[in-house]
Order: sequence, then C-alpha cells, then structure tokens
Amino acid sequence: MELILLPLLRFAFGALSIASGRSRRTFAVAALLVDAALLSRLALTLAGGTATEMVLGGWARGLGIGFVGDRIGLTFASLVWGLGVSIVFYTWRQNLRPYFFMLLHLLIGAAFAMVFTKDLFNAYVILELLTLASFLLVGYGRRPGQIWASLRYLVLCSLGMSLFLLGLAVVYVHTGTLDIAELALRVAASPSAPWVRLGGALLVGGVAVKAGVFLFSLWLPAAHARALPAVSALLSGVVIKMGVVELFRLSEVFPLELTFGVLGVATALLGILFAVQTYDLKKLLAFSTLSQIGYLLIGFAAGTQAARIGALDYAVAHGLFKALLFLAAGEAARVVGGSDVRRLVDARCSIPTATRAALLVGILGIVGLPPFAGFAAKAVLEAGIHPTFFHAVVALISVGTAVSFAKLLPILPGRCATRSDWSTTTAYAWLAGAIVLFLPLSIAIVPRSMLSATWRWPAFLEAFAAVTLGLTLHRLLRGRRFRLPQAIFRIEEGTLVILGGFFVVYVLLQFS
Amino acid sequence: MSWLNGVTVSIVLFGIGLLGLVLRRDLVIKLLALGLVNASTILCLVSLGARSDGAPPLLGISTVQNIVDPLPQAIVLSAIVINFAILALALVFVMLLVERYHTTDSHRIERETAEEEEQEELWS
Repeated sequence: MELILLPLLRFAFGALSIASGRSRRTFAVAALLVDAALLSRLALTLAGGTATEMVLGGWARGLGIGFVGDRIGLTFASLVWGLGVSIVFYTWRQNLRPYFFMLLHLLIGAAFAMVFTKDLFNAYVILELLTLASFLLVGYGRRPGQIWASLRYLVLCSLGMSLFLLGLAVVYVHTGTLDIAELALRVAASPSAPWVRLGGALLVGGVAVKAGVFLFSLWLPAAHARALPAVSALLSGVVIKMGVVELFRLSEVFPLELTFGVLGVATALLGILFAVQTYDLKKLLAFSTLSQIGYLLIGFAAGTQAARIGALDYAVAHGLFKALLFLAAGEAARVVGGSDVRRLVDARCSIPTATRAALLVGILGIVGLPPFAGFAAKAVLEAGIHPTFFHAVVALISVGTAVSFAKLLPILPGRCATRSDWSTTTAYAWLAGAIVLFLPLSIAIVPRSMLSATWRWPAFLEAFAAVTLGLTLHRLLRGRRFRLPQAIFRIEEGTLVILGGFFVVYVLLQFS
Repeated sequence: MSWLNGVTVSIVLFGIGLLGLVLRRDLVIKLLALGLVNASTILCLVSLGARSDGAPPLLGISTVQNIVDPLPQAIVLSAIVINFAILALALVFVMLLVERYHTTDSHRIERETAEEEEQEELWS
C-alpha cells in the first residue's frame, strides 16, 4: 500500500499547493514528513527480509502493473527524499510561485513511482511525466536560453521515448508480458532470439537518452547549466537517476554487460574531457555528471554483486554531492553575476562563507578523498571490479575529476566573511552532513562485510594518488586551452547521434 | 501485398519524421516531424496487436477466441495523450521563443542564445 501511496500523495500535495498557493511551503514540509513515515515503514519491511510487493487492480503477478519495494527502489527513494528536504530549505526564501511547488511535487511523486515500478509500460508513462515536469522546471525562469535548452531536452527525450515504446512493442509481441521479472524468465529461455536484440537495443537506447549517457544525452549540458540552481540539483540528483534505475532494471532482463561497459567507458571519458575543457562552473558540473554516470554503468558492466552494490552506493553519493555543488554554484553565480570560474575567483569575497564551505565539501566528495561520500562509494565499487581495464578507466576518471575541479580551488580561500541566510545554510548543512557521514549511512545499502573489505590501504593510496596527480596535471595544463566541438549539442546532431547510438547498442547486443 | 502492413508503413513514417527532425530548420516543422515519429510508433503498436480476422475486444459481443489483443490499444491511448501534451507544451515554448527572436529557425535561435549567454558573462 505504501508503494502506491507515496506517488499518489505527492500528486495530491501538488494539486493542493496550486489550489491554496499561500500555504505551499507548509504543504511541502507536510509532504516530506508523510514520505518519511511511509519510506521508513517500507525500509522496516525490507530489513525484515521480504520486499514489499503489490500488483495494481488485484490482477495476478505478471498481468497487472507490479510495484516492488526492493533494495534498488528504496535506495533511490531515500536519495530523492533527502534531496527533496534540501530543495525545500534552499527555496524557502526565494518566493517561488505555487506553480514551481506543484511541479516539484509532481517530479518527486513520479520519481517515487519510477523507482518502485516493475512494469515497462508504467515506466514509459512515468518517464514521460518526468520529462514534462522537468521540461517545465527548466523553463521556469522564462529566460530565452532556458526555454531553448528545455525545448531541445523535450524533443530529444520524446524521440528517445518513442524508441522505448517501439522496444516495448517488440518485447510485448514476442512474450505477451510487460512485467520485468516475467520478461527476465522469457528472455533467459531464448537468449539468442533476434527479437531480444532488437527489443533490448530499442529499450536501452531510449532510456539512455534520459539517463545522461553521453552521446545519447546531448541535451544535458545546456539544460543543467541554464536552469535555476534548485532545478539543476533536482535534474542531476533525481531525474537522471530515474533513467539509471530503469537501465539497472533492464540489466536484469537483457545481457547488457558488454553494452554497459562500452557506453560507460565512452560516457566517462568524453564527459571528463569536456569537463576539463570548460571554464563555466555550471557547465563543468553538468559535464562531470555525464562522467559520473560512467562509473555507474561500469559498476553494472562488471557483473559482480559487489560492483552492482557499489554502483548503487555511488548513485546516492553522486546525487548528494552534485546537488550540493549545484546549489552552492547557483548561489555563487547569482551573487557574482556569472558562472565563469575566473570571474568567480576575482569576486570570491562577495560569495558567502557558507557557500564556499559547501563548495569545498562538494569538491572533496566528488574527487573521492576519504572519508567523504565519493571515496566510500568508489571503494566499494572498485572492490567489485575485476577486469583491470575497467579499473584503469575508473582511476583515469578519478584523476580527470580532480583535474577539472582543481580550477575551483582558488575560489575557496579568503578571510572576508559574508553571511548568507539561514535557509540556504540549512540546505547546505543537510547535504554536507550526509556527505561527511556517508560511510556510516551507507551500511543501510552495503552489507557490512563488503564495507570492511574496502577499508584498506590500496583504496586510500589510490584516492590520494589520484588527487595529487590531478592537481599536478592541472598545474601543467593551466593556460593551455583546447576546444572541443560544440556543434554536437544542436537538435539535429542530437537526433542523428541517438539513432547512431541505437545501432551501436544493437551491434553490441549481438556480441553478448 | 503482404509486406504492405501497418508495421512497414510505420517504419517508413518514422524515417520521414527523423529526416524532418534532422534536415528542416524550422522549429514548427521540426515539431510536426516529432509528432509524425510519435504517431508512427503508435501505428506500429496498434498494428502489431491487429489480426485481419479479429473481432473487437468487447466482452458480451465477441468470444474470447477470436478477439484482437486489447492491451496495445489500451497502451496506445495513454501514449496518444502523452504525445499530445508534449506537442502542445513544446509549441507554447516555440511561441515564447518567436516572441523574443521573431524567427522559428533553429540555427538562428541557437546562435542568438549562445551570443546572449556570452554577453551576460561580459556585462553582469
């Protein structure tokens, strides 16, 4: 029952905050409290050993729309809830319209439905709902740049979802079911049938557009960089992750190890290349999101249980520190009046101290220094990766992340103390607390045996070596700028690339 | 003419829609092309569930043995509504862009927004 109440109550709160706009903040807090109660009930059931399951409308399993409160679902739902808390605090004093809060409730409700659903068509509807909600949220400020970014987002996502729907049709015609668990059985019965490849490629290609996999998600940098800070945090922390959840679910059905390996390495390397090159703080964060999605895919490509749980853990960690970075970067850019890193460095005294502290915690988290979130999650992930090639890629991305974030270090020092208001500081403190205390918190996700196995010298050494190497490389590269093609971010190229990506996935499925 | 069925027609329409999305620079035509892509997906779904000798899936009128599969039709209803919402909202956003730039040319809008972004950096 909780599984269906979570999204439905959120939708109700969304309607309420439009109907009575004055008390929109009260409704937002009330929604968070209700969610917390429902989620903890689900967590208690899962801790008892059985995952909560339900099928809508009283149909038999495999026929009706199924929901399941398993580990993946609850992990992502808690992440969504945690980010929801910080967003409510962050926007407390911003005097946003009731319309914003309605979209916020809609987005979070859809996210709750997405993480628990086991039905492909339900996933399609919810992904489209997420697309629409985030499309309107990106364009909330009505600036032409935002509107253009969100229009590109909508067109490319709608195309991707068309591919998804075609894949769904292929799968349904050959199996007669849309339930993930049922599908996994049918595909396992005939793993080399031609329709498995076609359906799998269409489904994966479609979701990859939403999941921030590079060369599929060419809409992402503009949309994330131009939106309001609170919206960027939601997009990076929640909306992208919903595509990732669906990819994880699909990996239970189709043999996707090779595909995820190739896509993960590509998105990680290209994302980090663009992140190193850009000097726009918000673009830097957007590109680094792409590279971090690479970690998650590599974790799922490795095929071991530890790597999968590590990827899950990393998805939460990434949601936390990327949201914190986007919120802090947004406030810094608003105060300074631009998000170019060099301008931010020049005007660093006008950036509030709390914001700079938040940036510091976010950077420490993302480059993976112990004991912050990035380190703990990456250590679990790396412990599960056996092919040395993947290990090398993960280490390379760590260095690349350090290089790209080293640009931000000059913003941080300065004795000038500027106060910021309590609500944003609370939002930072909430996320920063979760990042610092991530290791104890992640016991909820990672079994204790796995966690202690990663607490060893090699992981520490690797983390420090990556950061040192990154800082050195940043020194060497400073002043040397290289330009990467920017034309690929237009609609036309995006369309072609999605189509090409689909063929690549199709061919890769041939070989696995 | 066994090859001429809903599925092949939908693939052709999908291709035409894609060409429109890639080749035409006018945003309204781009959105129409997107609508064509989405509509072709719907056509594909319906015709995959269709049978030439099938009866409508209505309990009490047809027997269960010879009805067409009702699930694709139910799915398609939701998909049509979603696609309608997407197109309508996208057109509203195109309207906002036209008010600002007085053009529907995607390349020009792309250029102008990029220039505005750079100027914001310089002035603010």
